Amino acid sequence: MTASSSRGGPEAASPRAAAVSIAVRARPRRWFSSQTSRRLAFGYLLLAPAVLYVLLLVGAPFLFSLFLALSDASVADTTASFVGLENFRAAFESDVFYIALRNSIGFTVVAAIFKGLLGTSLAFLLLQPFWGRKFIRGLVVIPFTLPISISVLGWKWMYDSQFSVINWFLSRIGVIGTYGSAGWPVWLGEPHLALLACIMVNVWRNFPFSAIVLLAGFTSVPTEILDAARVDGTSFFQRFRHVVVPMIAPILLIGFLFDTVFTLSDLGVVYLLTQGGPANATKILPVLAYQVGIQAGALGRGAAIALFLFPLLLPLMILMLRNLKRREY
Amino acid sequence: MNDPQPVRTGPSTVNRRKFLTAAGAGVAGGSLLTMLEARQAPAQIKGTTLRILQWSHFIPAYDAWYDKFAKEWGEKNGVKVRVDHIPHLDIPARMAAEFAAGAGHDIIYNGSSILTRLYYKNLVDLTDISDAAAKKYGGWIPAARSLVEVEGRWYGLPIFYILAPMLYRKDLFDANNLKYPDTWELARVAARTLKPKGHPTGIALSQCADANLFWRSMFWSFGGTEATPSGDQPTIDSKELREFLKFAKALFEEGMTPEVFSWDDASDNRYLASGIACWVHDAISAYRTTEDTNPPVFANTFLGLEPQGLPGKRVSCAAPNVWMVWKFSKNQQAAKEWLAYLIDNDLEGMTQSRGYNMPYLNDRYKKPMPVIGTDPKLQILQDFPKIVAFYGQPGPSTTPIQEIVNTFVFPDMITKFCRGMAMEDAVKWGAGEYRRIYAKYKQA
Repeated sequence: MTASSSRGGPEAASPRAAAVSIAVRARPRRWFSSQTSRRLAFGYLLLAPAVLYVLLLVGAPFLFSLFLALSDASVADTTASFVGLENFRAAFESDVFYIALRNSIGFTVVAAIFKGLLGTSLAFLLLQPFWGRKFIRGLVVIPFTLPISISVLGWKWMYDSQFSVINWFLSRIGVIGTYGSAGWPVWLGEPHLALLACIMVNVWRNFPFSAIVLLAGFTSVPTEILDAARVDGTSFFQRFRHVVVPMIAPILLIGFLFDTVFTLSDLGVVYLLTQGGPANATKILPVLAYQVGIQAGALGRGAAIALFLFPLLLPLMILMLRNLKRREY
Repeated sequence: MNDPQPVRTGPSTVNRRKFLTAAGAGVAGGSLLTMLEARQAPAQIKGTTLRILQWSHFIPAYDAWYDKFAKEWGEKNGVKVRVDHIPHLDIPARMAAEFAAGAGHDIIYNGSSILTRLYYKNLVDLTDISDAAAKKYGGWIPAARSLVEVEGRWYGLPIFYILAPMLYRKDLFDANNLKYPDTWELARVAARTLKPKGHPTGIALSQCADANLFWRSMFWSFGGTEATPSGDQPTIDSKELREFLKFAKALFEEGMTPEVFSWDDASDNRYLASGIACWVHDAISAYRTTEDTNPPVFANTFLGLEPQGLPGKRVSCAAPNVWMVWKFSKNQQAAKEWLAYLIDNDLEGMTQSRGYNMPYLNDRYKKPMPVIGTDPKLQILQDFPKIVAFYGQPGPSTTPIQEIVNTFVFPDMITKFCRGMAMEDAVKWGAGEYRRIYAKYKQA
């Protein structure tokens, strides 16, 4: 021990000590040296595949469609020039666009209401104990799993102006007139009926999905809580409104979000049933975007029409996700 | 008098590379023409693969024949041929995808919606094959050029078109002392007379190919046109359009039912086959469906030429079918060989399609033609080539016209008027859409 060290002062700088001290000072301080940083880095590492997945499969196509919407891109040209908001202006100039926008919103809202009602009813029915319940639960998802072209072709036959099985049945039981009379509905020929017919097919195809989502939610509600509510003298609707719905709200919101996105972007049903006719009465944005962008080849204008779905969906998404987050805490 | 001035010639621009390129192209072109002439496939295509994208024909037997025929040709020439069939409505999307990827089929088919003008920069120039075929078979029918010619070159090969004659119930006409529907006015009188007796008529007023085609036939027969002969300006807003609309609405109200607003391309086939329709204006698929499903009605179903609108004016808007070869194809030579062979055998194709496929080459109309020349009821179809026209007539099938067709502007305008919109409002809407779409392409 040196004299200075015994006094508590700085150690005398022997050549060896100096060398050690310099070496310690020169070592870079690593950013992940702390436990917190390391945990953070590991967290990001685990998150990276998901972020990459979203960026590649959602972000990149979205940015690409944004680029297309702002350019004069054509299906037959690999190059495109920037045209600003010209394609959006072109969409606003066409009254078919406004019809498609109105129909898209109406289609989604009406279909969502019916899918909610039918899905809830079906979920409650499937919740009840009965013989063959598992088999029936498997059967109800068939409309959802059938290839859209096959199921819509079947509906097209059922809506046929001449051979509609729906009409022949209704006519036979006296609800509507006979074929050729004014009381014979032309499902895909009358503007409002045609839109309703398209909505019906969308509801038929997708309400089993709503039912399955709801069923998953219902089965997650502990029976003790429901029993307690029952003991308190609540009615079925009170239990549903004040116990079940708040408890399964996150599942409901996610299901609703999925369904809204699927319905708003549903090209198949309308395209296969009516192609948007008669006189654009059933035209929705995805069909118009497809006809202009792909069939006519004006990719830029088609992309602009399709992108109008984004501002429609964005506020809804934000509201729902915010609501969901609030419920988590 | 001035002395003649010497002609100023520029410095020679032929260098060695250009000379070799020109000479090479000349030799290759000459060889191909010689081989086309001799119908002999070159050895270079041996061991290659040819991929063909074909629609699913309305006559399934035609597809079976086509696949076998292509395979046999491939075996004979050492080429592995693969034919894929998809619905014709899916072809524009498939074409866009293949172009974007720069890969796919070598030969691609277009039906009804002909996209030659949209893609021509990316398609192989087929002028040599079309010229050779024209030389061999007496030239192309006048309307063929409008489908595939861009800046004097042919970027597609018309293979067949589908006609839509009048199909009428002779028994009903005779029983009611009605005249053969040689004019649209006579067809209207028949529909007006027979609708109250349970036999209305119908032409689709929905968003389907039939609506695009058949109302155009009527409009053009009334003297209307869609575009200038050069195809760069719309001419839809006219006195003829108003006359036609007035007639169309009268025909709808007097002779049709609202069913036509919901029809697809097969609805009129069923309408005729069910025995309800007094007449339909449709492809002979309606005739064949009736033959297969309702023999008594078939026995009384007869065919008529396109009715006249104005005296002596008949124009038949037909559904064209065209073959194209991608520039990115690595087997262009085999593709051209196959197409040349197919053109040589288009009458066999006509037979296999039960008379559905009408050829584009003049010499093919020597009577009697296969199938339609031997069936007394169908013989009248042999007289159609002079009156056939395609979308955009008298101009070519331009890109704006294809958008107008694909977004159903023309039938929608008629639908709006028939549903009660004032005529001037319907015209304003329709002509406005034409102008808006043309303006977009002009701007681009």
